[in-house]
Amino acid sequence: MSPRLTRPAAVAALLVAMMGAPAHAADYVQAPGSSLAFATKYDGEVFTGRFGGFDTRLHFDPQQLDQARLEVTIQLAGTSTGNADRDSTLAGGDFFNVARFAQARYVAERFRALGGNEYAADGQLTLRGVSKPVTLHFTWTPGTPALLAGRATVKRLDFGVGGGDWADTGVIPDAVAVSTRVFLHPAP
Amino acid sequence: MTLKNTRERWGAVSQAFHWLIVLLILATAIIGLTMGELPRTPKYFWVYTAHKSLGISVLALMLLRLGWRLYAGGVPPVAGTPRWQQAIASATHWALYALAVAMPLSGWLYDSASGLRPFRWFGLFTMPKLASPNEWLADRAVATHELLFLLLVALVVLHAGAAFWHHLFVRDETLSRMLPGRGRRVPSPEDTNHVT
Repeated sequence: MSPRLTRPAAVAALLVAMMGAPAHAADYVQAPGSSLAFATKYDGEVFTGRFGGFDTRLHFDPQQLDQARLEVTIQLAGTSTGNADRDSTLAGGDFFNVARFAQARYVAERFRALGGNEYAADGQLTLRGVSKPVTLHFTWTPGTPALLAGRATVKRLDFGVGGGDWADTGVIPDAVAVSTRVFLHPAP
Repeated sequence: MTLKNTRERWGAVSQAFHWLIVLLILATAIIGLTMGELPRTPKYFWVYTAHKSLGISVLALMLLRLGWRLYAGGVPPVAGTPRWQQAIASATHWALYALAVAMPLSGWLYDSASGLRPFRWFGLFTMPKLASPNEWLADRAVATHELLFLLLVALVVLHAGAAFWHHLFVRDETLSRMLPGRGRRVPSPEDTNHVT
């Protein structure tokens, strides 16, 4: 290796590579192949859905959890559950009301180490104009890309999702399971 | 009126099947054509359940009816009916039987593949699913359901139109032998005596 460094071209290439390296190794952005899904049931019939899209920005270093910050923007329009009727109902005023609230947002700045590669983030979810605390439990797998695999429980009625005629928790439970697998590249 | 079919008339069992299924199909069709206008909220889901439950009732009755038809046989066409009319009438009958079975099946498949919620027959018991949730299959099933309905309407018009034509213009027993009571009186020797 070292003899090669004597070659000017190799030195130049190395310098360019170093300049292109992230300003801070703990900053990440979402990579392709990431997923964010939810699961609940109607009258006992389980169904799952995917949001129209989402975007993650993460500052995370297991050694410096007090500096960590997670920011996720979720596109509610285009949420798909494998049934067009259900999707249009979800987009409508009784549920996400995408005409007024196109996005949901999750921001976490308090992180806890749970041992091993497990962590919890205590953040705020803003959905349908309501902000409430939601805890995300996740495992962190360093690498290129790194992987954040997490789960959270969101109480839909806290956010007015499925009110009125749909509020009966015997038909649609209050707790909705959200799961995510985010692949993360170092931020450019 | 006998229970079984005779050479001249449809028996009580065949008539009961025929008219009960007519009423059920009519109710199912009226609900099916209008329920899409309702707000899609749980308050009105019972209307969809009623449509599906009536349809499954038609399916169950049709299976019994076909069993009876095979056991008790049909009634031959009234004497003097041209062969081509007999052939069309017979083909229409069997096509109607097939549609009255295929329509509920396609609806049931649509319900199953939609995977929206459990289907409880009139709220009494949960119907099994014919398929797991599958949007592609659900789209095909509902398209088939609608196509079969158009076909059913066309054949019902042909079938009922022929019955009325026989009754009003040919003035034979074709319709009245599917009606309860004695049907149209067959001229008896006494009648002939009175006239003369």
